[in-house]
Amino acid sequence: MKIREKLFGVMVPFVSVLLAFLIGSIIIAALGASPAAAIHYLFLGAFGSASNIATTLTKATPLIFTGLCACFAYRCGVFNLGGEGQFIIGACVAVWVGVSWGITGLPAILLCLLLGTLAGGIWGAIPGILKITRGLNEMIVSIMLNYVATLFMGLMYTSLLREGSVPQTPAVPDVTQLPRIFSHLRVTWGIVIALAVALLVHYFLFSTTAGFQLRAVGLNSTAARFNGFAVNRYILFSFIVSGAIAGLGGSVELLGTQYRLMSGFALGFGFDGVAMALIAQLNPLATVLVAYFFAVLRTGATTMQVGTGVPTSVIDIIQALVIVFAVAGFAVVHLPQIKLYLSRMFTRKKEEGK
Amino acid sequence: MSMSFAAEILLSTVRMATPILLVALAELYSERAGLVNIGLDGIMTFGALSGFMVCYLTGSPFLGILAGAAGGIAVNMIYAFCTITLCAEQIVYGMAVNIFAPAVAAFVYRIYFGVSSTLAQDTLMKPIAIPYLKDIPFLGDLLFHQTPMVYFAYLMVIFTAVFFNRTKAGLNFKAVGEYPKAAETLGINVIQKKYLASMICGALAGIGGAYLTTCYVNTYSDGIVAGRGFIALSAVIFGRWTSGGVLLACLLFGFCDALQLRLQVLSTSTPYQLFQMIPYAATLVALAVFGIKKAGPKSVGKAYRREER
Repeated sequence: MKIREKLFGVMVPFVSVLLAFLIGSIIIAALGASPAAAIHYLFLGAFGSASNIATTLTKATPLIFTGLCACFAYRCGVFNLGGEGQFIIGACVAVWVGVSWGITGLPAILLCLLLGTLAGGIWGAIPGILKITRGLNEMIVSIMLNYVATLFMGLMYTSLLREGSVPQTPAVPDVTQLPRIFSHLRVTWGIVIALAVALLVHYFLFSTTAGFQLRAVGLNSTAARFNGFAVNRYILFSFIVSGAIAGLGGSVELLGTQYRLMSGFALGFGFDGVAMALIAQLNPLATVLVAYFFAVLRTGATTMQVGTGVPTSVIDIIQALVIVFAVAGFAVVHLPQIKLYLSRMFTRKKEEGK
Repeated sequence: MSMSFAAEILLSTVRMATPILLVALAELYSERAGLVNIGLDGIMTFGALSGFMVCYLTGSPFLGILAGAAGGIAVNMIYAFCTITLCAEQIVYGMAVNIFAPAVAAFVYRIYFGVSSTLAQDTLMKPIAIPYLKDIPFLGDLLFHQTPMVYFAYLMVIFTAVFFNRTKAGLNFKAVGEYPKAAETLGINVIQKKYLASMICGALAGIGGAYLTTCYVNTYSDGIVAGRGFIALSAVIFGRWTSGGVLLACLLFGFCDALQLRLQVLSTSTPYQLFQMIPYAATLVALAVFGIKKAGPKSVGKAYRREER
């Protein structure tokens, strides 16, 4: 039983990806390009050379953070749709510290990451506090805070920290940027931080008592309450940690890739994170894989556009289709009729084996 | 001066409240049938695009509105099939719609209009004055010299109130959201009612989106919806799941929107972002002050399986 469910957990996303690519190919063909060539360029762009692989890893880094952010909160049964806002607030604090505090080098990097994480945690705590004290819907609150954070970022790059005539903040100095792992490739230690966070989250959720209790709250908060677990405290905790992960992601993205804030920073990362966590069925390590897959699509899309003229927005559709199919697929395998049918099929096979 | 300022604010309050109102009513129908739909932003985006395209091609804003409704229904049928028939989690699927529909809309727009710097423009719907009523001093111009969609939205409020409280069909509809099992025992076709609710929801939310591109601005851009779907969602909670309450909540949010636009014009020295935050902050404050723990339909958010005990 257990093994079969795990099997479906892997199969459903794979089938969804295949279906999404199938529909994507039909769209590409309808645009008058060759789907085979497009997919060839897509993978060439993502894996073609060491520098392409590095770009893919760089693109995967922020997605891993927002994916883990969504994953952590939903494990506790609360929907944090505010990953984008928390990510942005983390980046805002990081650029503020990095540009105007007058410190540089490693201490500045550590301080930026620390304060960015803290800021994300505080921003993430707001929906949590409003949920446990006033019973407010955490989704609406976190979405509203996304818009506030985006506008605040706009305030940063158009007035507070504006550099010259262009609406953007100054870049953090070279010595305060995250160092590269290999000097000739773009990929920085940011990806290592992301992977470390993923491992930590996985360890916490599945190997500690607190993680077990947090998941228990997520599965059935009433039962958890009767077992004496501090449900409200876990909800608040999950929001703070989830926000902190996103905030760290924002500061890593700022110090490692973007260096400055400007219009369009982090656009869509929050919802992408939710999508990835759902496709990965809230497994932190699987979330990393899905984030990497999304990054492959994004890096490859540019090469595809250059090579075949197919617009990159096809990739957005393929991504969206993956989530649409995956969520529907998970629902289908849990339908009673389908479950019954599948268990019959499996037992018959077993009998035949005997 | 102050009189015209107040009048202008109120006039644009009514205008800004209309799309939110239409979408909040959409959510009301959906939630009354036990379906919480957080994909409103996605449905609106698609409605805004289909409305814009049809209006652009035919030159008729009315056809645009119809296309918006059709587009909204089409998107929401995906949601309906997955949540009603496949029993997928409603929140999760709403989120999927929020990711899927804008991606499709952006793609279609880019393919059709290309990435040119000149924006495609459609024709805006013209206001229609209602004879006699428009001559009422002050209020006349405010309430009775608007686009037909504004009248439609307010008529829908009245219709919805009567439907849910005074008609048998409306009570049956509500029963589906409160206690589907009992409703089924009384011979109400729960599944059918839920699909019906999803169609109404898709149509109204699509119209709300199309309003933005056929009555409000004459262009389409990514992110045009700007979280209005979620503001509508909070209007439903804030309005306690009644059409009158929803109307008041939407007018409040519309007022905040109108106010921030006016303030932007009046005070150019203050960064405009501070004013743009007002509607979102107001939503938060309104919910924090007046939000209550639970008052909605009892079985909202739960999948209904007929055979399940």
